[in-house]
Amino acid sequence: MSMEDYDYLFKIVLIGNAGVGKTCLVRRFTQGLFPPGQGATIGVDFMIKTVEIKGEKVKLQIWDTAGQERFRSITQSYYRSANALILTYDITCEDSFRCLPEWLREIEQYANNQVVTILVGNKIDLAEKREVLRQRAEDFADSQSMLYLETSAKESDNVEKLFLDLACELIREAKQNKLDNNDTAPMPGEGKTISYLTCCSVN
Amino acid sequence: MAAEDLPSEFDVVILGTGLVESVVAAACSRVGQRVLHLDRRSYYAANWASFTFNGLLSWIQQQQDDTQPEETQDWCDLLEEGEELIQLSSQSSIRNLQVFTYTSKEDEVEEASADSVNTTEEEQHGPASQDDDSNQENLENHENQEENKENQVNHENQEENKENQVNQENQEENQENHENQEVNHESQEATITEGAEPEAEQPQSPAIPSQSEPSRKKISFAQLEKEGRRFNIDLVSKLMYSRGSLVELLIKSNVSRYAEFKKVSRILTYRNGEVEQVPCTRADVFASRQLSVVEKRKLMRFLTSCIEEKDDQSAYNGRPYLEFLRDQKLGENLQHFLLYSIAMVTEDTPTEVGLASTRNFLRCLGRYGNTPFLFPLYGLGEIPQCFCRMCAVFGGIYCLRHSLRCLLLDTATNRCKAVIDSRGQRISCSHVLLEENYVHERKNVATPPRFLSRAVLITDSSLHGSDSEQEVSMVTIPPITEGAPAVKMVELSSSTMTCMSGTYLVHLNCSSVSSAYQDLSPLITTMFSTPESHDQGRPSVLWCLYFNMEDGSAMEVEGHDLPSNVYVCSGPDGELGHEHAITQAELIFHKILPEEDFCPPAPNPEDILYDGGSAPSSGPEEEPSLQLEV
Repeated sequence: MSMEDYDYLFKIVLIGNAGVGKTCLVRRFTQGLFPPGQGATIGVDFMIKTVEIKGEKVKLQIWDTAGQERFRSITQSYYRSANALILTYDITCEDSFRCLPEWLREIEQYANNQVVTILVGNKIDLAEKREVLRQRAEDFADSQSMLYLETSAKESDNVEKLFLDLACELIREAKQNKLDNNDTAPMPGEGKTISYLTCCSVN
Repeated sequence: MAAEDLPSEFDVVILGTGLVESVVAAACSRVGQRVLHLDRRSYYAANWASFTFNGLLSWIQQQQDDTQPEETQDWCDLLEEGEELIQLSSQSSIRNLQVFTYTSKEDEVEEASADSVNTTEEEQHGPASQDDDSNQENLENHENQEENKENQVNHENQEENKENQVNQENQEENQENHENQEVNHESQEATITEGAEPEAEQPQSPAIPSQSEPSRKKISFAQLEKEGRRFNIDLVSKLMYSRGSLVELLIKSNVSRYAEFKKVSRILTYRNGEVEQVPCTRADVFASRQLSVVEKRKLMRFLTSCIEEKDDQSAYNGRPYLEFLRDQKLGENLQHFLLYSIAMVTEDTPTEVGLASTRNFLRCLGRYGNTPFLFPLYGLGEIPQCFCRMCAVFGGIYCLRHSLRCLLLDTATNRCKAVIDSRGQRISCSHVLLEENYVHERKNVATPPRFLSRAVLITDSSLHGSDSEQEVSMVTIPPITEGAPAVKMVELSSSTMTCMSGTYLVHLNCSSVSSAYQDLSPLITTMFSTPESHDQGRPSVLWCLYFNMEDGSAMEVEGHDLPSNVYVCSGPDGELGHEHAITQAELIFHKILPEEDFCPPAPNPEDILYDGGSAPSSGPEEEPSLQLEV
């Protein structure tokens, strides 16, 4: 992997209740498909998409939960070395919103301190069934210092934006970290690895 | 997060998420079996788990009040014609839990001189040993801990505790190791000296003069709790041999992509009261300052010669390896290194075993680093989870906090055809795997369970050399007294992501002779600075946990009066590597699926071509690689 042609490699991890559209978001972004089709994700660990941002090649490795969220049994190791987390809920499902604090607790416990977290309200194509008001979600995201975005994997609304915004933010942080920690250089690894951010203590 | 119902039919139902269960789960799911994987606990990896500091404190609490009032229910309405019920109940395999906090509860304003290092408040004192046979946990001890937390200077409590412990000890029947009664404060000094006497003939080197430490602020218990999530404290203490079956399996199956590893950077040994570094590689040997030129040459010649099996070696079969080493005229230094640190055996180990073990060491050396070992970042508890992830990626269904109540036996075929889960749902299946804690009543009574003695220490500095926080050390320790167990010790720095910066996590492990406290505390008092020890120049123990765990190597896969398609997975064994667990997992897998490949490589996500939803194709062969943090 070390010889490949990219400037950055980031691991992005999706979390949130079952059925909120996590897999759809990934498939829409990486393959432009919707719906993803049943069982299509069997055997697939993560999806890859390389994007170019301001002339730099950014490889995004996007990990899905493999269904372990269904019974609230996600392995801790899933969160390790993630550079960014996409916490997803379904705007037409109050319950998926109410579970967010539980997810935040998991993040707090297992994820890296510097992990960038973005809250995503999916399924805005079903506006008439909306149960969670945008303002409420924004307030919540604010209170937890998370970014917030509403998307529709079905209509492809904001999906591209979601991943590109994240990539920009990750590059910004990576550059910042490099500046802040010139001496304690990131763990060597293979060039810019997915563990690029894990060693620097900011918080 | 909703309480969905489970499907009612699976090929394989697995209860327990320990390493063996998880490997079999991944292997079965990988070849298309429908797997349901359950654990009654709220965390993964059973007795192989790792915990944050706070998580470990709750685990300790749970062990202490684990009385599990399991109501017996009548499941007869779920029975079909010709079926019989086998009730399942679990039993903890943890005993003799004891916790000591040697650091102050709150932050201290200052820590003036080296002298005061040991005078910091002891929150809890005086262990209470307990009967090995009873499942009753050490409640008094725990209560004291609680009270002490509130009241820092509570001498009465300590007194009580001492008495309490003495009483309990008097009642103790199983304890043969009377020498070790030093837990009593009065007799302590005497025993420590006794314990400190190395077996070797050489006089003990003078104690290191207490280095006048710069007034370093000692980390308080409050800080440990505050930074608790920085810790990943393993219940087991193992390392991964870099050519061992676990590493090979991780590479072969591509499960290695879920974890990152760190090289164990050095091997230390405890000898004549000092901790020394063991030279392992050619470069180490030549750079070594402990060895003379002659010794260097001898050692290299010996290591080169023992790679091959030779006739003059087989003449020693059955005779102690020590004898073989003596006859090679290697001298004391080399003999110690070769016996304890390279072969990692004891004096009476037969030569052929010693040599095999030496060869294994040499074979693993140099694959990834200059020691034969790797350690996973975030602790060993990650490994079972990585296999669980692989199982889930291939469609396995995961449920923590979910158990099985009983097996339904088809009386005609003596096979288990279904299970009833903790929600009373009937689930049909072709095979069942159970973690060993569920078959206690069915164990062979003639062979009482063996135990491992474990201790976990949080210390404030490394046993050897600078506190660079980069080293990962394997420490080999010969028995400090005649008949004492050989202890394997691993010292982890914060670079392994298992402890907070400024601390070290030390794991001790040995086969139990007595309780964990009795087996290990003499050594700890000798090698570290605790309120019981007098030597100031050593790493201070901030917090320490002792417990015994049942030794999984005594467990059989079959038997137990269970149906022929029910397999028992053993818990952690006392060996340093993972051979026992991986061998057992492969054995069970082949009993279930004799024709299938064990953990073939999962396709690399980058090589999967999506073609309108067609099945993923497996990519070209990859170089075996592990993600290593240098």
